[in-house]
Amino acid sequence: MNPWIRLLIYLVAAPIVGGLLAGWDRRISARMQSRQGPPIFQPFYDVLKLMQKENVVVRRSQNYYIFFFLLLAIFTGGLFFGGADLLLVIFALTLAAIFFVLGAYKASSPYSFIGAERELIQMMAYEPMVLLTAIGMYMVTKSFAVNEIASHPTLLVLALPGIFLGFLFTLEIKFRKSPFDLSCSHHAHQELVSGITTEFSGRTLAMIEIAHWYESVFLLGWVYLFFASIPALGIAVSLLVFVLIILVDNVFARLKWQTVLKSAWVVAAVLGFGNILILSLLR
Amino acid sequence: MSGFTKSPWIIHYDASSCNGCDIETLACLTPGFDVERLGVINTGNPKHADIFLVTGAVNEQSKDVIRNIYHQLPEPKVVVAVGACAASGGIFSECYNISGGVDSVIPVDVYVPGCAARPEAIIDGVVQALGVLEKKQKEMTSLANSLDQALYLRAEKSDAPEILALQKIAYQSEAEIYGDDSLPALQQTLEELQKDFDRSEQVFIKTVVNGKIIGSMRGYALNDSAYLSRVLVHPYFRGRGIGRRLVEEIERAFPGAKRFEVKTGHRSERNLFQFRAQGYQEFKTEPFTPAITWVYLQKKRQ
Repeated sequence: MNPWIRLLIYLVAAPIVGGLLAGWDRRISARMQSRQGPPIFQPFYDVLKLMQKENVVVRRSQNYYIFFFLLLAIFTGGLFFGGADLLLVIFALTLAAIFFVLGAYKASSPYSFIGAERELIQMMAYEPMVLLTAIGMYMVTKSFAVNEIASHPTLLVLALPGIFLGFLFTLEIKFRKSPFDLSCSHHAHQELVSGITTEFSGRTLAMIEIAHWYESVFLLGWVYLFFASIPALGIAVSLLVFVLIILVDNVFARLKWQTVLKSAWVVAAVLGFGNILILSLLR
Repeated sequence: MSGFTKSPWIIHYDASSCNGCDIETLACLTPGFDVERLGVINTGNPKHADIFLVTGAVNEQSKDVIRNIYHQLPEPKVVVAVGACAASGGIFSECYNISGGVDSVIPVDVYVPGCAARPEAIIDGVVQALGVLEKKQKEMTSLANSLDQALYLRAEKSDAPEILALQKIAYQSEAEIYGDDSLPALQQTLEELQKDFDRSEQVFIKTVVNGKIIGSMRGYALNDSAYLSRVLVHPYFRGRGIGRRLVEEIERAFPGAKRFEVKTGHRSERNLFQFRAQGYQEFKTEPFTPAITWVYLQKKRQ
């Protein structure tokens, strides 16, 4: 398929798929807690409502950072689905997150600060593993380009089982789910209020939601990459991974940031680096 | 499609409740009632919330908190008073430290009865609040869309209740600045305001959009001077030149006046800025309460 067409499909379909995934997430979570749960379109209702609310700000400039966060979140996925260099994708992903953090710092409120600081810690935690994932994929396919990795004839996960597990670990952080929902937990009212999103309201909060939709589609796309030689398996596993993340979210309590950082690095060192070490020894 | 009725996010505050209503409120989130199926989220963050749910009577300590939270909710917003105490003070209403129900501090839209209010009643209250929310949202949008057609008219005595309601909403931000609800504008009763309308030298101007009053100002002439006061603009429509236009209109209403005088609190930066921009100059200050110092400004007719 022409990369431009792929890009166009991504730009249009990702918010729809992402929003449905978010709705599905809330629905499944509710069912796991033996509740009925909201309708599957709930995230869209939420965003529609937020669009019409008053936009309360501490400083007007905080909203521009969030605009760039959304823009770069879209750009990250655009690069990925367009088949660009995986390292560039990671760079854009980090930059997007940095803009989110800057926006929260700009708002200068204690809760927003705690959220921003924790978001930075989370970035430190997942960044090494994300890089190792790209390196692992390069070692198998001899290319950093996403379209070449995707068209590689073998199942990447067979050569990269450790990296796949490590990547799942970072996904849990990246989706901001329990036990790693340090920066903007929906359940830590006393401790965080809403963490990094505390000072955003109205249209800006809607932008954050939409950025998350784009992000989750991109991240699941990356999971697909491990199984790209059998597309049906890839899609099935991506959805399964999403359900797994929801299950973990509901089963675990929130961890301290020290534990998050240590465990993420241990996982990156053992599963990620170990896998790469074995690959290079077998060669 | 508004989305408002399908996504009510709630912030819940315990003013000085016995915890009965609070437990019933949180019970609404449990599997038995599961309000999340209606799209409700219990946010804990006023800036994300649409509905402000207050339980318990208002005492001296919770007063400022209630006002602060109310102020942080983005428009449109709805206040639901849950339980007998929140409605009227309940059995605590005679206590020395209780100022009454939630409506003694902020405007309340829906009252949920009960002691403690049952979860079913609370859910019913929230559903009613959704209707109010949608109505407010529609009003706001249609008003905002036709702001350029605003009429500036003389207000009459029959406008007094609406102007008083506007005054109570508009002065919330002032009470927030000074941390003091003894501001005369917030204490004024309907009878007092109606009496003001009966005074022949008093002039009231109103800003009307789609038949609704969103701004008002008043003043009276004495000798050669006109004394202007209470520039009221609904919080949602501030920063769009309504206040400035009100001042111009009321100056025009006193053709005989050679001098105009206004007063405002010393920390009301917005008012001071606006009056200075319109040619007013400070000429004296006078302490009113420990928290408030009146700043008097005047302007000579050109």
